[in-house]
Amino acid sequence: MPKLALLDITGNLATLTLNRADAHNAMSIDMLADAHACMDTLESLDNQPSVLVITGAGRSFCAGMDLKEVIIDTDASIPRQLLESLAKLTHRIRMFPAVTVGRINGAAIGGGCGLSTVCDISITHADAKLGFPEVDLGLCPAVVAPWLVRKIGAGKARQVLLTGGLISGTRAYELGIVTQVVETRDDLDEAVNKATASLLSGGPDALGATKALLNTLDGSNDLDILLEGAALSASVLATDDAQNRLKSRQK
Amino acid sequence: MITLTTHTADSHNIGIIAFDRPGKRNALTPEMLDRLVDLAPQAAGDHDAIVLTGEGRVFCAGFDLALCQTTPDGDIMRKLLTGLSNSCRTLRNINKPVVIAAHGAAIAGGCALLGGADIVVSNTAAKLGYPVTKIGVSPAVSAPFLGVSISRGACREKLLLPELFSGKHAHRIGLVHELTQEPEDVIERALSIAANLASKPHAAYAATKQWISKLEGSEQQNHAKLGLETSLALTGGPEEQRLLGALTF
Repeated sequence: MPKLALLDITGNLATLTLNRADAHNAMSIDMLADAHACMDTLESLDNQPSVLVITGAGRSFCAGMDLKEVIIDTDASIPRQLLESLAKLTHRIRMFPAVTVGRINGAAIGGGCGLSTVCDISITHADAKLGFPEVDLGLCPAVVAPWLVRKIGAGKARQVLLTGGLISGTRAYELGIVTQVVETRDDLDEAVNKATASLLSGGPDALGATKALLNTLDGSNDLDILLEGAALSASVLATDDAQNRLKSRQK
Repeated sequence: MITLTTHTADSHNIGIIAFDRPGKRNALTPEMLDRLVDLAPQAAGDHDAIVLTGEGRVFCAGFDLALCQTTPDGDIMRKLLTGLSNSCRTLRNINKPVVIAAHGAAIAGGCALLGGADIVVSNTAAKLGYPVTKIGVSPAVSAPFLGVSISRGACREKLLLPELFSGKHAHRIGLVHELTQEPEDVIERALSIAANLASKPHAAYAATKQWISKLEGSEQQNHAKLGLETSLALTGGPEEQRLLGALTF
């Protein structure tokens, strides 16, 4: 079976690619496990890269949780495992010393938009569809909320998470959910290459120290709040209301 | 001086709570804030969402300062500050959508109320701000709510610099979420946002709202209490007596 997350390391630049294009890179337990394996590799390197690009294969960045895996037929522990795995992955990405650049090549939805939010820098194009439609599905975006609150402040996060729905790359830029927006998908690589080249010109130790300080200042080190969020999210997901909505959406 | 009506949109019942003292630009009295604290949770029980607004040309010009002058020892000011802090907390703790339609002006205590909303709608030329140090009052009571909603840098500036700013500027710093060109359109936009929010699954909405409150720390009652105590400590003091007493209407 092909790996659902790929890692490429070229000098000081690493690229992690979500590799499940036929499912818009929706996050299954297996895909998250492969992404964790990529982080294992990165963390074990003697010479760690100073920049980590995160992107998606195909036309989407990441469509969010694989809804097939969160409909509870027999095993109610699967959604919880998935949410905990996502919580830990976002924390590992934020704790990794390399500066992370989200190359948001297309749809970044729910947990996928959360993955974009956790990146230090994230670049998308004007027509990309982003957002947190969890409340519309009867779900609570509790794992991604801490990252969004840190990124854009609680007032705007309140508006974004409670309103649900999807927004354009341009609107996501206005709200501060992404840090840069280019006009079209074709312009994305130039912008990403420019940003990575600029980051690579900086001293890796200085970048790492700065990122670590910012993590301390904004509370990013706190894994417990993410796990508490995963538990909350799993409990809302297990309610009849949420399950019925998810099932009717599958049909 | 405060009314509750029901507006029905897309089969959702929206409770419109309105300050009804348009001749005084909806200047707040202790009774109005106490009534808001009682009425808002009641209204939330009977409706799918709440919209708070004001009758007439402006949302709210702040405390009724002429009334405050009648008790130089700070008795009325103290009641107003306490009522304001309670109002913000009450609105914030409602588990259903709370939208504020702040057309025309939201000044001082009126601006502080915005901290209780999920979404604030205003118009581009509206006047907002916290110019209360000019009358010897500390806006500390607003800080626990404002400081977590907008950036800490902007909060510091807005509370310390006693100047008004436009709706457009308030939108830029995140104090206002949605903007209309004309003040007359604010209520309609607020109602349509409230109807949209009311259509969301209730349990998910409530859980998400509570989670964000936990993350931002506004549920930490001690901050709200500390903010109120800081404002109360100055009330009735010589500086306030001198500056507030010098106001003429």
